[in-house]
Amino acid sequence: MRVLLAGFGVVGRSLAEIVIEHGDYLRKLNGLNIRFTAIVDSGGSVVDERGLNLNEVLNVKKNSGSVSFHPQFGRKNASVLELLDELEVDILIDATPTNLVDGEPSYTYIKKALTLGVNVVTVNKGPLAYALPALKELASYKGVLLRFSGTVGGGMPVIDFAKQCAKGDRVVKIEGVLNGTSNYIISRMEDGLEFEDSLREAQEKGYAERDPSLDIKGYDTAAKLVILANEVLGMAVTIKDVSIKGIENLTLKDVQEVLKQRKTYRLIGKVDGGLKVEPTLVDLADPLAVRYAMNAVSFTTSLSGRHTISGKGAGGRETAIAIIRDLIEIKKKLGEA
Amino acid sequence: MRIVMKFGGTSLGDGEKIKNAAKIIRDHLEKNEVIVVCSAMAGITDKLFSLVEKGVRGRVKDVETTLNEISDTHLKALDAALSNENLKKEVKQLLEDLFNELRRAVMSVLYLREVTPRSRDYIVSFGERLSTRIMWGALTELGVNCKYLDGGDAGIVTDSNFGEASPLMEITRLEVRRRLGSLLDRGITPIVTGYIAVNEEGVTTTLGRGGSDYTATILGYCLDVDEVWLWSDVDGLMTADPKIVKNAKVIPTVSFSEAIEMALFGAKNLHPRALEPALQAGIKVRIKNTFNPSAPGTLITTTSEKSGSVVKAVLLVKDVAMLTIRGASMVGRPGTVAKILETLARENINIMMISQSVSESSVSIVIKKQFLAKALSKLETALLGSKLVEDIEAEEDVCVVAVVGEGMRGTPGVASRVFGAVAKKGINIRMIAQGSSELNISFVVKDEDGPEAVRAIHEEYNL
Repeated sequence: MRVLLAGFGVVGRSLAEIVIEHGDYLRKLNGLNIRFTAIVDSGGSVVDERGLNLNEVLNVKKNSGSVSFHPQFGRKNASVLELLDELEVDILIDATPTNLVDGEPSYTYIKKALTLGVNVVTVNKGPLAYALPALKELASYKGVLLRFSGTVGGGMPVIDFAKQCAKGDRVVKIEGVLNGTSNYIISRMEDGLEFEDSLREAQEKGYAERDPSLDIKGYDTAAKLVILANEVLGMAVTIKDVSIKGIENLTLKDVQEVLKQRKTYRLIGKVDGGLKVEPTLVDLADPLAVRYAMNAVSFTTSLSGRHTISGKGAGGRETAIAIIRDLIEIKKKLGEA
Repeated sequence: MRIVMKFGGTSLGDGEKIKNAAKIIRDHLEKNEVIVVCSAMAGITDKLFSLVEKGVRGRVKDVETTLNEISDTHLKALDAALSNENLKKEVKQLLEDLFNELRRAVMSVLYLREVTPRSRDYIVSFGERLSTRIMWGALTELGVNCKYLDGGDAGIVTDSNFGEASPLMEITRLEVRRRLGSLLDRGITPIVTGYIAVNEEGVTTTLGRGGSDYTATILGYCLDVDEVWLWSDVDGLMTADPKIVKNAKVIPTVSFSEAIEMALFGAKNLHPRALEPALQAGIKVRIKNTFNPSAPGTLITTTSEKSGSVVKAVLLVKDVAMLTIRGASMVGRPGTVAKILETLARENINIMMISQSVSESSVSIVIKKQFLAKALSKLETALLGSKLVEDIEAEEDVCVVAVVGEGMRGTPGVASRVFGAVAKKGINIRMIAQGSSELNISFVVKDEDGPEAVRAIHEEYNL
């Protein structure tokens, strides 16, 4: 399958590495032969219609900062939109940075790809939080696939798990700890650290973004909640429908106080009628009281009760694996057609 | 309040009328946010369709004449609607550009002697594009900060079913919010072309049935408005056609189901499809008259207010025909009705009413009169000589009387009152149908008895 990869940050590079290491294995076991026709980063692009040599591209990126410095196939000014028009690819993989304000430029990339009949895998929450119902409508109208399992829970297969829970049953409530950074901070406050120190530590460990406000103020959680609400509950909602409160006002005293009653705070995103993100008091024994950078999501169904999945939430490699999972799914669907 | 106001073709019939509509908008802007939707000026869309036909037939002179008529109408309207000369010049340039664009499109049809649904949509879209420019001038002259947009620029995205496109609602909602939302936030009044949109690739499409009303309710749905006002040249939905019943009145409130029922039976130019988005979002729709703007009009709403009367309106549907298919051997033989329906469906003929006696020896259907000859011939071909059917009888001198009202549901005795009133006038009823929704009772009488039957029921229920 011919792929255009937009974004060559941590996730994009991890994907390339996995394909180098496990390419043969993926071909043998899943019949998946991923051919990178083009890779685009902020400096430009590299294009080879016969399929790029990933080792070469990774080296160029490492040594000179942008894939566009590739001596043979590098291009200085080629945008994703132009390349979609020029090249005939089967799949757009969108691994561009998240923008939760209006989902751009990712929203425009995805829309263009779907309009051209190109399948899309994205790990970018921005366009989905902003326009998931619209993008799903467009994909189904054009008869192509839109996959995004890497946007929620990283390598933890949350959406598939939820769909299993809902078979012959109905999910009525979703609650989840969906942001590793804020969960790390609260966990360290339980250990006795001040908010600012916990935040600094999270940044040093590489959990938090350089601008951690998306994590702390609850927007990242809200974006993931919107994706779950659309995909699992069939709602047509966007991030504007979520009432959002972050952990920025939580103090060490608050956290220590409730610990005495064997309770703690978690930044929980919840769909139960409406959509809400807020620091919520839970029992220490509750399955959602996961610690440090872990994620956990509970799905309550009308017949079989509450099911919880927990695991490591984010990370480049984990997210790249989610992309591979989506590619396998698309290959299967295209093969059936 | 946030209101979508749609102005029909008759309300924009000439320059004075456009000026009048602009004043209505300005007056409501004092207390409200308004999104304006304009139809084409009266008669223009028909002319555009005829341009296409003339083009295909290669009638060069006729094309020229019609093109000139279209530009004359608009330039005259512009002259009367605006007085500021500079502004007039600016709008005139906009119109001239559109005339040229239209001329080029029509010329290519003329040369190729060929038209596709896609190019037809493009050509017929000019009516709304022209009228919005004049409205923009008129509003600007009144000091309103406004902007004209084509349906696609406003964010309405449809499928590629040219001529009868359906909106992709989620994409439309997103795009409309993003484009018109930001205009409204900046205090700019959007003036949007009714009827026209674009597909996902940006090619012009038209919404077909429901037209500009549909545009208005789509925008209402997307922008969470409080009300959609459909301005035209009538005071609202009436209890009966005032030409038939002298004391017919405007109905102050109807439910969506009643309105849809009345629309199906041809009340005004309302199309049921256009009410869908409003019904879905629970947005009130008002029908108002630009020539009598202070009149309250008719309010269409989801909260069904039980009015005093169980019957809301009595409608007369003319230009119909009744076909009766008879045959003793049809009794107990399944499939005859299926065969009738299938035959007519294949010819794209819509069945308005159907009824069958329990004895199964005859089936009656009502269709539009224009399809009668075709329907009769196709049914004869399909059914006669099959031993099942002995005779197919057509009656052209009939009409349908429809009695509409949500209050009829679960109220016993409606039928006896309705038919009692008709019987008292000595009118013979040929055929009856009532859906189990009980929203309407319709029956067929002779053409000459129609008006009398309507008056009798109108009187019986004191409408």
